[in-house]
Amino acid sequence: MTTALPLAIPSLDPPVAPRDHAAGPAGARVTLVEYADFECPSCGAAHGVIQAAQRALGDNVRLVFRHFPLRDSHPHALDAARAAEAAGEQGQFWPMHDRLFERQHALEADDLARYARKLDLDLVRWNRVMALSATEDRVLADLASGRRSGVRGTPTLFINGARYDGLVERGPLIDALARVALATREPGPGRQS
Amino acid sequence: MTAKSSSSPTARGVVREIGRYTVVRLVVYYLLAGGLLLLLSAMFPEHRPSGPGPGAPMPSTMGGMLDWFRGEVALFPNGAPRWIDALFQMVGAVVLVIPLAFSYVRTRTRVKYDHSLVQTVIELPVVVTAILVVVRDSLALAFSLAGIVAAVRFRNNLKESGDAVYIFGAIGIGFASGIHALSVAAVLSIVFVVVELSLWKFNFSADFERTFARLCLPSGADLAGLPEVAEPPRPEPAAMPAPDGKSARLRVYVDRADAARPLIEAVLARDAKRWSFEAEEPPANGNATVLAYRVRPRKSVGLDGLRSNLLREGAPHVVAADDAPGL
Repeated sequence: MTTALPLAIPSLDPPVAPRDHAAGPAGARVTLVEYADFECPSCGAAHGVIQAAQRALGDNVRLVFRHFPLRDSHPHALDAARAAEAAGEQGQFWPMHDRLFERQHALEADDLARYARKLDLDLVRWNRVMALSATEDRVLADLASGRRSGVRGTPTLFINGARYDGLVERGPLIDALARVALATREPGPGRQS
Repeated sequence: MTAKSSSSPTARGVVREIGRYTVVRLVVYYLLAGGLLLLLSAMFPEHRPSGPGPGAPMPSTMGGMLDWFRGEVALFPNGAPRWIDALFQMVGAVVLVIPLAFSYVRTRTRVKYDHSLVQTVIELPVVVTAILVVVRDSLALAFSLAGIVAAVRFRNNLKESGDAVYIFGAIGIGFASGIHALSVAAVLSIVFVVVELSLWKFNFSADFERTFARLCLPSGADLAGLPEVAEPPRPEPAAMPAPDGKSARLRVYVDRADAARPLIEAVLARDAKRWSFEAEEPPANGNATVLAYRVRPRKSVGLDGLRSNLLREGAPHVVAADDAPGL
């Protein structure tokens, strides 16, 4: 029995670029782009699923994270996104990203500063970058790109540029990623989306 | 070592056996506990013994002999001090609640078993006894206790509703002990254990039709006219049973099973302490085949190391290896 992959037509706009936060080799067979909000509980649940997918596929998958803070319902989401960006400026985006998802219930300003301290960040620099309008612009640019790409809620995933409409659960997601990886016969160096 | 007294296939085909030795142990325990409690109650009477007192000649009637015995062994001729009396009641409560804990352990599966409940069941009667010894006949103390209980909120999710019965059983034993009714506590303990073990053994009420016929219909009634009660489909188990608790089920995504299997199995032969091939799932969309293995990785490698080696050495045929339970 043939089962179609739950993927929409490629619609990611813009495609993955060096400015994106990416984990995994650039030449991976599959690029998984996630639009997420640090305060969204579904994104918190998806965090563990995506980590399992990364473990299962190893270097065959590259994860790209883009912000999609839902400010109306999640008052701390934008600040959390800025905190992650500011940590990224010191090369600590992914540790901060993990910490924020693991502690979604505590995203007040004091909490964010505490996480920055835990990551041994330069706090003065982190605070300064947090306050920059360019940092917020960066987050809002991700938000805008999500809207252009058809993101309506979080988390929304794109697999090699095509929106994934399946369940964000371990089995279905790994299944879809593996099938796309096998369909992509040769890993292309620097594949963008 | 356990000799099985009887076994009965239940409605779901599960054979539940209490075991002859279990029954023998319980009976012996109750006999010893009864003897011990009788002796203790004679040694530490709450009130002055009504018997003739030490040194009196042994009477000939049974009642008289019991009174004589109490008078002979009583350590406190004028009644035991309050703390000794309380201690005795608490010891009695613990002695009588242990079979309940035993019954709980015997009737629960590993999944449903809650060790904290066992400890609670054993400790609870001691506390209840102590409370009742303190409260006694004081209405004021009773109201104070009610106020304290109302102020302190207890929140605990029991694994199943039947566990609450054990809590009530333990409270009942504690209550009876606290009001010097150890005989009632003993009866409660025995009846509770017998009923609980019997319900568990026969899985009473699991078979709807039989239970309905037994409880609601005249003997010999025709069950054919009963409306069907559709049993909802059972969800798949959340986790594959791991035979030894250390193995995992690996699902390996490959393009061609014939090319990938030798590569995978070479890695498993090196990095796994034990492994076996379980199944090959045919391609769902023409390109992905899933090979399922039961593996127990070597400690030095670990599951993550094994997975990494599979991905590296199985390339380009292997693209993913997931150890998700239940997949």
